Amino acid sequence: MEVTFKVYRKEPGEGTKPGRSDYKLELGSDATVLDGLLKIRDEIDGTLGFRASCLRGYCGECTIRANGKSCFSCTTRVSSLTQKAPEVTVDPVRNMPVVKDLVSDWDTFLWNKIDRIQPWLEPSATPANGESIMPDSVMAGVRKAMSCYYCGLCDEGCTVLPVDFGFIGPAALTKAYRFVFDLRDTMTRKRFKFVEDAKGLWDCVHCFEASEHCPRGIGPTERIMDLRDKAFQLGIQNPRAARHHYSFADSIKKSGVLDEGKLAVESEGLTNIRGLLRLLPIAARALRRGKAPIPYMHHKSPGAAQVRRIIEKAEEKHR
Amino acid sequence: MKYAFYPGCVSRGGCPELYTAATKVAGRLGIQLDELKDVACNGAGVLPKYISDPINARTLAKAERMGETLMTICSTCTGVLGAANLRFKEEPEYREEINRDYLAEEGLEYKGTIEVKHLLWVLFEDYGIDKLKAEVRRPLKGLKVSPFYGCFMRRPPEVVTPTKEYAGRKNYLEDLIDAMGAELTDFSGKGKCCGFPILTANLENSQAMTAKHTGEAKQKGADCMVTPCPLCHLSLDGQQAGAAKAQGAAIDLPILHLPQFVGLALGFSPGDLDLKRHMVSTKEVENQVSMLT
Repeated sequence: MEVTFKVYRKEPGEGTKPGRSDYKLELGSDATVLDGLLKIRDEIDGTLGFRASCLRGYCGECTIRANGKSCFSCTTRVSSLTQKAPEVTVDPVRNMPVVKDLVSDWDTFLWNKIDRIQPWLEPSATPANGESIMPDSVMAGVRKAMSCYYCGLCDEGCTVLPVDFGFIGPAALTKAYRFVFDLRDTMTRKRFKFVEDAKGLWDCVHCFEASEHCPRGIGPTERIMDLRDKAFQLGIQNPRAARHHYSFADSIKKSGVLDEGKLAVESEGLTNIRGLLRLLPIAARALRRGKAPIPYMHHKSPGAAQVRRIIEKAEEKHR
Repeated sequence: MKYAFYPGCVSRGGCPELYTAATKVAGRLGIQLDELKDVACNGAGVLPKYISDPINARTLAKAERMGETLMTICSTCTGVLGAANLRFKEEPEYREEINRDYLAEEGLEYKGTIEVKHLLWVLFEDYGIDKLKAEVRRPLKGLKVSPFYGCFMRRPPEVVTPTKEYAGRKNYLEDLIDAMGAELTDFSGKGKCCGFPILTANLENSQAMTAKHTGEAKQKGADCMVTPCPLCHLSLDGQQAGAAKAQGAAIDLPILHLPQFVGLALGFSPGDLDLKRHMVSTKEVENQVSMLT
């Protein structure tokens, strides 16, 4: 089949302008996008930069965007992209600084962020028989996280990174999960300190894009939610997140339903004058628009007592 | 048609206009809402699962006892209750543990037999979009509307689109805009996060997301946006002025709740649907609608 590859090109260095080059190719009907890129490099333009390794979708090295959708170039058939027109656009993945062409800077994108959570196991002393036994129920999640091959697709799909590149991202948080839930690890509290830092665990919007993008079924979003649950159970160390989460829980415990006014104030902190002042214009406008009754009244669920009993029991069970 | 109605905290708190519009629209369509009044907030993804699952099992047990599908008017309520429901259905031992440890004392048991559905899904899957179209008294001709789903109406797939039968859920809003006689203004952010979940953790990032989506829709020519999620509304409407200020350019895009949008097409007045309670003025939309009557 005849197809035109429209490939993103950029020379290394700051200030170089990116562009797009067109390459007309004759490819077999079962050709992959990587076959096309290799053909360009080998036969037309040896300066084209891209990454690839295993050629069979196992290593996660060849992540790109084809026709605007993230994928592995080695497992994506060209024929699946040319149903509307015999053209394929090839771009580097989003949310990552480009070094050259389709090659991105994985240090700032991923490795430095994974470094932040101290990605190694600090086990307690090995038992006398040399075995540390972990139940299957625990291993199931840890095993999933361990199957990550750092393709970066979860970070590529992340909705926070486009507005804040400093956010730690789902890949690093999934790595944190791998150690936090490993029963042998002894530095959980210390690790949570790093995980909960600014631009960490609590900056995730749990939009499930990361899980949708993960090719391994690891469920990075679910792993992040598990990390949050664990932090809640152990005592959240990030002061802002702690105020918000424990105020939320207190509200449900007392009345069964969320008291949004109280949550807004307590999340800022009762002594945080600047934060509280920031709320005033919004609160005044909301009251003017009839968003809340004047005087402000919070109603209680008729089932509040039973809800409270359930929450206290759950807290006791997971203490 | 009868539903165990779970209005959610926000429609009884920060977005009271949603409750008003939803109950009026349901009444007009003959959808009976049996409100669950003695149940709790589902945790909204803030409470850990070991707390939210037992209280959600209690809610589901009460709906099951009524023999009715649980209907929400909030994407987040749908997502959190839907995910808990899936766990209870797929893990009978876990469900039994929750029943034994938390619900038995109150004489309740959840057997895992009911469904959780958002009003949007009810309109398409139970009521029928053709029947709804036949109820339109004021086609919203010329009104340019952008859809905004809220994450939980799109993901995760095991909750939202568990089988091929439900694949259409990802396009219901676009189809609804068309059925109500309005004009679709599509944009890339319709299935993304509105920024609400990090409103307190990181206001700057949250507002950047709000500005990005409302700004893009406005730039593409939308007169308003419609959302099935009141938490998205709190960001897209409530935080829009702050977000616009932070990026240094006005946006002024009215955000309608799903039942307000449907209600306008059914012939309700903006006053009936409490459009005055929005933070971003809906005056332009009201003017356009008034020209149609």
